[in-house]
Amino acid sequence: MRARLPVAIVALASIGAAFVLLPVVALFVRAPWSRLGEALSGVGASTALRLSIEVSLAATAISVLVGVPLAWVLARGEFPGRNLLRAVVVLPILLPPVVGGVGLLVALGRSGLVGRWLHDVFGIQLTFTTAGAVLATTFVSMPLVVLATEAGLRGLDRRYERAAAAMGGSPWYVFRRVTLPMVAPQLAAGAVLTWARALGEFGATITFAGNLAGRTQTMPLAVYEARQVDPGGAIVLSLILVVISVAVLVTLGGRLTGLR
Amino acid sequence: MVLEATIEVRRGGMTVAATFATGDRETLAILGPNGAGKTTIVETIAGLVPTADARILLDDGPIHDLPPERRPIGIAFQDGVLFPHLSVLENVAFPVRARGARTRAARTHGLELLDRLAPGIDPGAKPGTLSGGERQRVALARALAGTPRVLILDEPLSAVDVSARADMRALLRRTLRDFDGPRLLVTHDPIEAMTLADRLVILEDGRVSQTGTPQDIREAPRTRYAADLVGMNLFAGRLTPLEAGAGELQTADGVVTVPWPEGIPVGPVDDVLATLRPADVALHTARPEGSARNVLQGVVEEVAVVGDRARVRLASSPRLVAEITSGSAARMAIGAGTMVWASFKAVEIHLMVERGPTDTL
Repeated sequence: MRARLPVAIVALASIGAAFVLLPVVALFVRAPWSRLGEALSGVGASTALRLSIEVSLAATAISVLVGVPLAWVLARGEFPGRNLLRAVVVLPILLPPVVGGVGLLVALGRSGLVGRWLHDVFGIQLTFTTAGAVLATTFVSMPLVVLATEAGLRGLDRRYERAAAAMGGSPWYVFRRVTLPMVAPQLAAGAVLTWARALGEFGATITFAGNLAGRTQTMPLAVYEARQVDPGGAIVLSLILVVISVAVLVTLGGRLTGLR
Repeated sequence: MVLEATIEVRRGGMTVAATFATGDRETLAILGPNGAGKTTIVETIAGLVPTADARILLDDGPIHDLPPERRPIGIAFQDGVLFPHLSVLENVAFPVRARGARTRAARTHGLELLDRLAPGIDPGAKPGTLSGGERQRVALARALAGTPRVLILDEPLSAVDVSARADMRALLRRTLRDFDGPRLLVTHDPIEAMTLADRLVILEDGRVSQTGTPQDIREAPRTRYAADLVGMNLFAGRLTPLEAGAGELQTADGVVTVPWPEGIPVGPVDDVLATLRPADVALHTARPEGSARNVLQGVVEEVAVVGDRARVRLASSPRLVAEITSGSAARMAIGAGTMVWASFKAVEIHLMVERGPTDTL
């Protein structure tokens, strides 16, 4: 027998669901279905999509590579300023991405704090490059995998790692064969959230890396630009992002939300 | 091979300070109530307590400076602590692989051990699907897999169902006996300690309160805890049916009437252990009237007063320890050399059948 829910709760829940669903439905309704192909080629959808996927995957990979060790230090390290470090790591979630972009610009831009040196000594320029777009995206999305992994590490029963060490496992072996596999679910969930955030990244990227088609113009940037010249094209691009997101949600099923 | 340990650890407001040593091929039990510091001792020996001040010698060679992964110690942890994401076989192969062996060699070695210690358990199963007894068997196999020089069993029976304990105890006894090196058994269960260990270290509040053979401690417990838990009468021998629901236990030095153990088919049973709390033994100056099934006569060897209790050692057949109040000991004028009667009810006797019931009797 189904549980009877209070009418007020059902009503508010319906409003919430409709609120989320309405823009998505509107995109489908208003899409220029008759001239789909034309709209797609007109706004350079395939270029932006390829770039978006490359940039978001690269940002996710970097986030996992340095974010997981960072989570480990935050969960296991005992040093003064650990809470401060955690606050700093989480900061990009709270900051408007455009602020992150400005920060990156004054740090790594051609005349920035470190960027000037990178440019003068190594000839490396990050602004207006795909690498710069990856960097900006990583800055904004990495905290998600750090937080998820740290939570996983904190919830892990330490007896397993201690047992593994007592059974001859070096610290690295224990990390690889016990710690990492045991936090894999949380790490994976964090990585998916990081990737989703990376795919939608806009503010930091456009501020730091600019909006150059084929180099830094990812899907959100393409949508933004198309909206000014070709509203129909913007809708088509948006729909593509919606479809990709829904496909990922369906593929990962409940694993993303932690439900079965 | 001999293990000597002197340990001092301050942890969570408690100081654990203990010194003990095992003889060659000796099983030493560390027995103490929960919270006495037993786990701290195990973890210190394993090298898992960085703050410990420890001096641990294995055949005069110090191992306390080694990181945990380089100490030649095999531990079957309390509750198993099997890795939930690895299969049974991968768990057992873990110590072998961690020390750099090839996967194939580790698997072969692991399968051999499983075959010997945990037959009938699917090597591909995940630990989460096993019973407590099965997990403990796998943990035992894993403890031995790295061919350690020291074997430590931490509460090996705590997660095992009552029905599987007899078999598990027999397996532990065999495994300890066959292990060529120092063996430590850490437990809060006096029966486990007395039946599996050659010598006992009693740990209370982080200190060793007494060390000795089970018999030493049984006969002269030095603390209340030791007296209550270890200072029990222990009878071992062959059990034969006497009448419905009762049997006779023939020990090396006498006979006692005991209740027939539940679930054991009626017929002679070897290797039966029985315990009787000294407080359940009544003493009398004349032959008692009453319903007690066991009535024995004997000469008092010693009366030891511990607080308001007197422990009376009796040269009866079998030998007994009785605990009475010091007041009644004085009233009955019991002293060394006094002839007294002892009585106890069969139902006060707790039986353990060491071997599981066999069909081929």
